[in-house]
Amino acid sequence: MRRLLPSENSEFGKKFRYAQIFIVSCFLILAGRLVQLQVVYGKEYRALSNHNFLQKRRIDAPRGVIYDREGTVLAKNVVSFNVYITPIFFKERSFQFLVRLLDLPQSDIDFIKHRIMMSEGRRRTYSLLAIRDIPKEWAMILESNKTYLRGLEIVPQEKRFYPQGALASHLLGFVGEVSREDLEQYREMSYLPLDWRGKSGVEWKYEKELRGRRGFVWRVLDARGRRVRDVKAHRWMPHPWRKDPVPGENIHLTIDAQVQRAVERALSVYNSGAAVVMEVNTGKILAYTSKPSFDPNELSGKLSSTRAHEIYANPHKPMLDKVSQGTYFPGSTYKVIPAIAAVEEQLVQNDEYHLCKGWYEYGRNSSFRCTHSHGLMNIHSAVVSSCNVFFFMLSERVGMDRMARYARLFGFGTPTGLGLNHEKGGFIPTKQWYAQKFMQGFRIGHTLNSAIGQGNVKVTVLQSAMVYGAIATRGKLMQPQIIDRITDYQGNVVQGFTPIVKRDLGFKPETYDFIISSLSGVVNEPTGTAYKGRIHGLMVAGKTGTAQVRKINRDALNKEEAKWSHLDHAWFAGFAPVEKPEIVVVVLIEHVGVFASKAAVPVTMNIIRKYFEFSRNQKR
Amino acid sequence: MLEPQGRFRLRIDWTLLLLLVAICGLGLLNLYSASYNVKNPMFTQQIYWIFIGFSAFLITATIDYRVYNKVAYVIYAIGVLTLILVLVTGFVKHGSRRWLIIGPMRLQPSELFKIAIILALAHFVDASPPKTEQGRTLQELIGPSLLAGFPFLLIMIQPDLGTGLLVLLIFFSIMFLLRLRIRSVITLLSSIIVLAPLVWTFVLQTYQKNRILVFLDPASDPSGHGWHYRQSIFAIGSGEWAGKGFLSGTQSKFHFLPAQWSDFPFSVWAEEWGLIGSILLLGLYIWLVLLSISLAKSARDRFASVICLGVGAMFFWHVIINVGMVMGLLPIVGVTLPLFSHGGSSMLTFMVGAGLLMSVSSRRYAFE
Repeated sequence: MRRLLPSENSEFGKKFRYAQIFIVSCFLILAGRLVQLQVVYGKEYRALSNHNFLQKRRIDAPRGVIYDREGTVLAKNVVSFNVYITPIFFKERSFQFLVRLLDLPQSDIDFIKHRIMMSEGRRRTYSLLAIRDIPKEWAMILESNKTYLRGLEIVPQEKRFYPQGALASHLLGFVGEVSREDLEQYREMSYLPLDWRGKSGVEWKYEKELRGRRGFVWRVLDARGRRVRDVKAHRWMPHPWRKDPVPGENIHLTIDAQVQRAVERALSVYNSGAAVVMEVNTGKILAYTSKPSFDPNELSGKLSSTRAHEIYANPHKPMLDKVSQGTYFPGSTYKVIPAIAAVEEQLVQNDEYHLCKGWYEYGRNSSFRCTHSHGLMNIHSAVVSSCNVFFFMLSERVGMDRMARYARLFGFGTPTGLGLNHEKGGFIPTKQWYAQKFMQGFRIGHTLNSAIGQGNVKVTVLQSAMVYGAIATRGKLMQPQIIDRITDYQGNVVQGFTPIVKRDLGFKPETYDFIISSLSGVVNEPTGTAYKGRIHGLMVAGKTGTAQVRKINRDALNKEEAKWSHLDHAWFAGFAPVEKPEIVVVVLIEHVGVFASKAAVPVTMNIIRKYFEFSRNQKR
Repeated sequence: MLEPQGRFRLRIDWTLLLLLVAICGLGLLNLYSASYNVKNPMFTQQIYWIFIGFSAFLITATIDYRVYNKVAYVIYAIGVLTLILVLVTGFVKHGSRRWLIIGPMRLQPSELFKIAIILALAHFVDASPPKTEQGRTLQELIGPSLLAGFPFLLIMIQPDLGTGLLVLLIFFSIMFLLRLRIRSVITLLSSIIVLAPLVWTFVLQTYQKNRILVFLDPASDPSGHGWHYRQSIFAIGSGEWAGKGFLSGTQSKFHFLPAQWSDFPFSVWAEEWGLIGSILLLGLYIWLVLLSISLAKSARDRFASVICLGVGAMFFWHVIINVGMVMGLLPIVGVTLPLFSHGGSSMLTFMVGAGLLMSVSSRRYAFE
């Protein structure tokens, strides 16, 4: 038997009961909270805690390779070394050591000091990209001093490399890191920061194909963001825990690197210009050059702001694609339009002669000048000698709108559909346009100017190639194409490109006979404007053009530049061989200041000669 | 000498003993998991501490509690002196001077002082019963206030907010259970309200204020102070009904929980054992606290009652504050979970406290 002794603690009285109630209710609050956290929100917290330690690491897909038609690599990926820094581990001492170790540019030092090391919160545990693309020797130096550089990691990652340097740079374009705007704008592409994205040229146009699909791998991280390299870590990983990336598709261009190089060499004496070579029967582009060019390797990597400024401030506009983005007065190369229109519509007979005195008068006191006094001219010799006076006369018969209709039929005035570099369509004016645009309205003078490719007519080099190609093929207006085929990473063709006839112009055979023989005369008749540049043993046909610019460059910094920008453009558009045309070549030399025959013709002939040399060699 | 009057029938309180063993056992299990992938001998250390703790428990329980009544002020004086000694020669860690190094051990005298203050208050209450039937006046509370107030200041200088708070809470718990005049209660409550802003301004350190601010608005700084909070709540919540299983708590395995063996063991437990395990653990604690209240009720004298109340309050507030803190109900303060947290001072304090309970419990029965 046990008996409790009497208690002497009457002082507390009923308070024990209150205490018990208080204690139980406090514990009930805790229990309630437990139920709330573990049962009501349990699933959410389970997800949150998983998210905590599981990190989905992306595996970037290798970007597709760009080849020329022979398989020469024009753009590929190479390993570059990027420096990553985890701020919580990267202390002042490591920083000082790093600065002493490498000859870093000030911008990188500032970036690390002010952006990386000042990171706050959870970001401090992340591995942050600090320096992109360091030289291999630096990577080795850093790797061998790793013990003194806690928190620094060298990660090999792919970067774009253009082994041919500036070759066909406007065509290929370049890549750059996605910008914040890109991330917003192209949501459907699911870009992530640090992704590469084509910024111009083929790299831009075929971004979807080149990009490939990113893969991922799950990693288990501890609270310090360090990887848990425990086999058991797999236990916590979701399924599937790894997905391999799908490499981007490879693009095989129609370009022939050999021809491209020949074109660039032929143009090399001039500062600024463009040239395009196209197969007349297929529309496949063999060479695509705009001068001055740029080195896509430079633009795809770290471009210092001073260098960027230099490039963008260059008056010769290296970033402008002068083949399809720049629009120019076509000058006399445009004369094929009124000539074809007049012959097709029988507005002029072959035996109709007019006298060129050196100028043309119309109205009361207007006169339009010719290059010199040509004497008696018919339609054929007017093309051959490029007589303006004859074409002034002719254009009055053809009329503004008919001329415009023919120009449009040939594809002038709208982009060709190549789609590179925000291709421009140029401009073909009509009566209505003048009526709306000018106070005085439309005047005959506008027609006269249009006929010789001046006034308000603007075309691109690519359009000219397409037009002269259509003449060469007697009416087949081919869609210019730059892609031969697209293959996946295993080599299967996923997209082939067959020649596309935009339309058959459907003129009478006599019209083609006339224009081809006239264009042939330009090169092969002694009075032709390109006669001096003819190639023995190869019949070339084409048309010269000297486009007056009269542009006032208000931004010009000094007189010399201002003067340069006032000089005439030199054109030559032609095809060869005349009997069985294979290629069309268009050359534009900007602000060269001499007649086309002295600048554009030799360049073109040079290109044509090279092309046939190569093709002869290949056939052998 | 040990049994001055020798007319008790000594009875061992098996419930109390089993509760202690159960909590210590679960605590050890949990520590094993919490320190599983840490290269630190915490687990073996804790086994030593449990042994030392149980020895202290046995010694404390064997001695008749009336002996403590006699030496209460002596123990209190030694306690206060030790607190002063800590301030002079103490070991500094994380910016506060809390530890004394004794041989291989690091002791935190402020923890153990909680026992001293319980004894001193019990002695005071026992020695001076209320003068009138209406209850104690404020004047009569000046003495115990000084007894608690002075060491409180010493502890806050270290600084150790958690322990200081506990000393105050034990003091108030005992005082409110005494028979007080209504007037005194009102004055006491209003003085707390007046004192709180003063404490905020002059006593609390910036980091302590930050913790309280983050508690009031956890979103204010999700990666800094608030981060600990969220990680602890993720841990508990992600346990769901039955937990992730022993050794499978990801929050603790990958070190998302701060001080998961001393301040956050409950999060580890709740993550791995879920609601079922958490309620079980809380059940053990509430049982222990209610047991000490019923001991206070049935104790032979006022001194024993106050001791049981004090020890009960100590257990109670530690559990409430620690668990409330890790569940995001209270601001983060360094208060341990009794018998569960890793650490010698805390283990020793609660074992001695439990020893006092046992000493009282075994001496309630008369010989037949």
